[in-house]
Parts: sequence; C-alpha cells; structure tokens
Amino acid sequence: MFRNITLGQYMPGTSLVHKLDPRIKILLTLVVITILFMVDTFTGYGLVFLFILGVILVARLPVRFVLYGIKPLLFIIVLTFGLHLFMNEGRTLFSIGPLVATYEGAFKGFTMAFRLVLLVLGTSILTLTTSPIELTDGLESLLSPMRGVGIPAHELAMMMTIALRFIPTLLEETEKIMKAQMARGADFETGNALQRAKSLIPLLVPLFVNAFRRADELAMAMEARCYRGGEGRTRMKQMKLTAGDVLTGMVVTAGMVAIAIYL
Amino acid sequence: MNRVSDEIIITENLVYSYSSEDQEIEMQALAGVNLSIARGEFVAIIGRNGSGKSTLAKHFNALFLPTSGTVRINGMDTQDPRNLWRIRQTVGMVFQNPDNQIVSTTVEEDVAFGPENLGVPPDEIRRRVNLALEWVGMSEYMRHAPHLLSGGQKQRVAIAGVLAMRPKCIVLDEPTAMLDPSGRREVLDTVKRLNKEEGITVVLITHFMDEAALGDRVVVIDQGKIVMDDVPRKIFSQVELIRQLHLDVPQVTRLAHELNKSGVTIPEDALTVEELADALSGSYRESAVASYGE
Repeated sequence: MFRNITLGQYMPGTSLVHKLDPRIKILLTLVVITILFMVDTFTGYGLVFLFILGVILVARLPVRFVLYGIKPLLFIIVLTFGLHLFMNEGRTLFSIGPLVATYEGAFKGFTMAFRLVLLVLGTSILTLTTSPIELTDGLESLLSPMRGVGIPAHELAMMMTIALRFIPTLLEETEKIMKAQMARGADFETGNALQRAKSLIPLLVPLFVNAFRRADELAMAMEARCYRGGEGRTRMKQMKLTAGDVLTGMVVTAGMVAIAIYL
Repeated sequence: MNRVSDEIIITENLVYSYSSEDQEIEMQALAGVNLSIARGEFVAIIGRNGSGKSTLAKHFNALFLPTSGTVRINGMDTQDPRNLWRIRQTVGMVFQNPDNQIVSTTVEEDVAFGPENLGVPPDEIRRRVNLALEWVGMSEYMRHAPHLLSGGQKQRVAIAGVLAMRPKCIVLDEPTAMLDPSGRREVLDTVKRLNKEEGITVVLITHFMDEAALGDRVVVIDQGKIVMDDVPRKIFSQVELIRQLHLDVPQVTRLAHELNKSGVTIPEDALTVEELADALSGSYRESAVASYGE
C-alpha cells in the first residue's frame, strides 16, 4: 500500500519552470513570499495572483491539482478570516451575541486569507516542479556561503538526502511490522483515538529499534566509502547557471519589487 | 617503508578484543590471525556465527583496528591514521544488508557517492559511474530509485558503488545472506567475473559452503583463529573435520562422502554436480567392466 508514494509532490515535466535552476527557483519563491507580506492593496494581490497563475500555466501544472494543495490549510484560512472578521473595531456588519463582525474586519480577514492562499500556491509551485534531489542540491549550494557563520550546509543537505532515501524503506518496514502484528491479532483500526494511539506502540517500538540499527550500519557503510563530511568533496552533477536563469531571476525580482513599491 | 609485494593484505598476529558490557570480561574476537592474501586471489572465509570472520573482514579496511598485531594493506599499516583514506580506497567493502548501504535516492547518484568523497573531478566521476554500472550489468537502471530494485540488484549497485572508487580488492561480508537464490546467483556471478576479468582481488565472507567452493582458496575460522587454509577441494574432502567445526560441506561433497561410506568407491573431492556425475559414471563403468569380466 505504500509502494507507489511520491515524495513531496514533484510532477516531472519539461517546461521552462521545471528547467529553471533550482537555486533561482528557491530564491524567487522567497522573493514572492516577502513581497506578499509587503503588499496591502487589492491591485497588488491581484498582480501577484496573476503572476502565480501565469507560472502555473507555463509549468503546465493541472490547476485543479495545485488548488487541491490548499485543502489541508483550509481550516487555518477560515480561522484567520473569522478572527479578523470579529476582532477588528469599526462599522458593524452583523453581530452574533457578543461577537461583532465589522466591515474593516471583513476586509482585513479577506486580504489575510488571500495572502495565505497565495503563499501556499507560490511555495507549492516550487515543490511541484523541482525534484527532491534538485531541491537538496539547490539548498546546499545556496547555504554553503553561510558555512562561515555556522550553518552546516553540507550536513543539512546530506540529512535531507538520507531522509528521502529511507522514507520508502521505513514505510515498507512499517507495513511489514503491521502485517506481522495483525497476524498475531493486533487491531489498529477500532476503538477511540486513545486506544488506537496505544495500539501503535507495538508498531513504533520495533520500527525505532530497526531505524537505529539501520543508521548504525549506514554510517559504517558511508565511512567505508571514504565519507568524511563536505570538505574536499566533489559532485558528479554540477549545477550550471545559464544566462537565461539569471535573466529570469532578475526580471521576476524587479517586477515583484515594483509591485511592492508602487502598489 | 612501502614494501611493494605480491600480497595485498597481510595480517600478523592480529588480536582483537573487546570487553562485554554486562560481564566485565575481555572477549577475544580474533586471537592471533596470520593471513596473507595475494593480488588477484579469490579467497573465501568461512566460519560459524561468532567465529570472528566478520570482525576480521572489518580489519581489512580499517573500520576496526587491531588490539595488537598488525594489518597491512598494500604495504600500509592500518594503525596509521594518515593511511586511512588510501586504505579504504584500496579495499572496498560490501555489507550484508543491501538497504543499509545505499545512501542516495537514485542508482547513479549512489554509485557516484564514493568517488565524490574522494574528490574526483565531475567528468571522471561520470565515466567511472557508467563503467561500474556496466560491469555489474545495471546500466539500464541508472536513474531508478534504489528501493524499487530487487535484493540482488541492490547488492550489485552496492558493488558498483565500491568499484567506482577503483579499489584493488573487494571484501564482501556475507553479501548474499539476505537474498533469494536468484539474487545470490546474480551477485556471485558478478563477483566471479570481476575477479577473473578485471583481476580484482576478492575476499568473500560467507556461511554458504557452495559459495565458498567458488574461491581459489578457502580459509576456515573458528574461535578467532584460522583452523584450515587450503584449496576448496582439500578443505571439503575433510568432511568429518568440517562437521566438527559445526560447518557444512557442499551438498555434492556430502553425497560423495555418504556414498563412500556405503561402499561406492569414488573420489571425495568433487565440488560440482558435473564432477560428481563424471566420477559416478566412471566408477559405474569400472564396476560394469569388472562384473562383465566375471
């Protein structure tokens, strides 16, 4: 049941967005996020929304699928809107008992909710169009100048790689242990939340023990293959910034800054 | 003092002891091992569980260091930290569990891991990765995710990962213990071919006697000591002695031994089905000729 899980939610493709250097993509995502927190006019939001929509279309991502990514955050978005609606002073829109909804609150709540939606859409474009390996390599490359101030860029990237490598292995193992426990009468599906959480203990204990044993063996195997940290290490796949990558980065950044300043 | 010799691995009086946590006694996993392995040899090391064979293997690329005695790899002493990385490049190691030695999320990235650690230039890494995958017959799986491969395929990727470091010797620590029969065959065929065609020294730690019979030489370890060291034919013809060490002889050899005990006189050193069949038909012909003479 876990065999075909996709990591993250990468959708392979050959569009310009897919081909853009991962470092530029990460940086541009950060730019868009920053700008989203700076704009506070409808026109500003509208333009950012149009930009994001444009990128989704260029990347040939199924719009419905991208919008689906908002679902897990729907509760927070509604809550944000609700809180703003009732917590702001101003002209009364309607009232439920002691709760007073205001026009100002509705406006503020709507912009905040829209901001959240755009944040989710903007970041999911990154994970939808960039493979986990590219993301890891991109992060390592971006963080490496900050090694001087104590950010272990290589170690972080290696941890991400190993995590990605072992997630399917551990899921497979979970399934195996679950089946073994079920064969001996374990019940993972009935009972209230507490009972179900309790029934997970005999699943988690062997899983953790095995994970530690794996970690130990993997560390030894890595050492046997001359692993000694990022120092002096080369990479088979080199990331190359093309002129097009840089140009895209600059044009989008300039556009975003313009939105923030003029709107 | 870099003595260039025909031996790639030499151990002299190798002792490795550790104190067990619960019972403050010093345990000797290896109690004075003298072993030399020549370039290009295919040596099988066998022994029952806890005999020290795996501990010995981990001394060959300085994962373990001797408590006393010396281990020399290509003339380099493993005790000297300056030799560490050159030793690990010279002797590559393949472990038992294929899942726990693959680091990266694609096959090619994993094979590249070793040379990347050595600081090999990118173009050269690409060349080595392609060649190593070709050697183990996994080129078409280059971009696959390792968790979707079979056990035998994963183990071949692990071997490729070691080959990409251009080692002179490969030590395999029970590489087939977790594989199904077809996976075992894949791995053993690969190892045998690398030894014969590329001249890579192979040390195969195993508890399958049929696998040990593939070697040019078999070393039997018991209680941290070498008890037998000879060509497979000589080792396995000593059926009773092998049994006393709680080991098995290859099936074919056992059959020959049992036949001899029940009165069929045939040589007991057969290691393959073909050899035994030849021996049997030979002895049958002899007895047929004898009875015809009467």
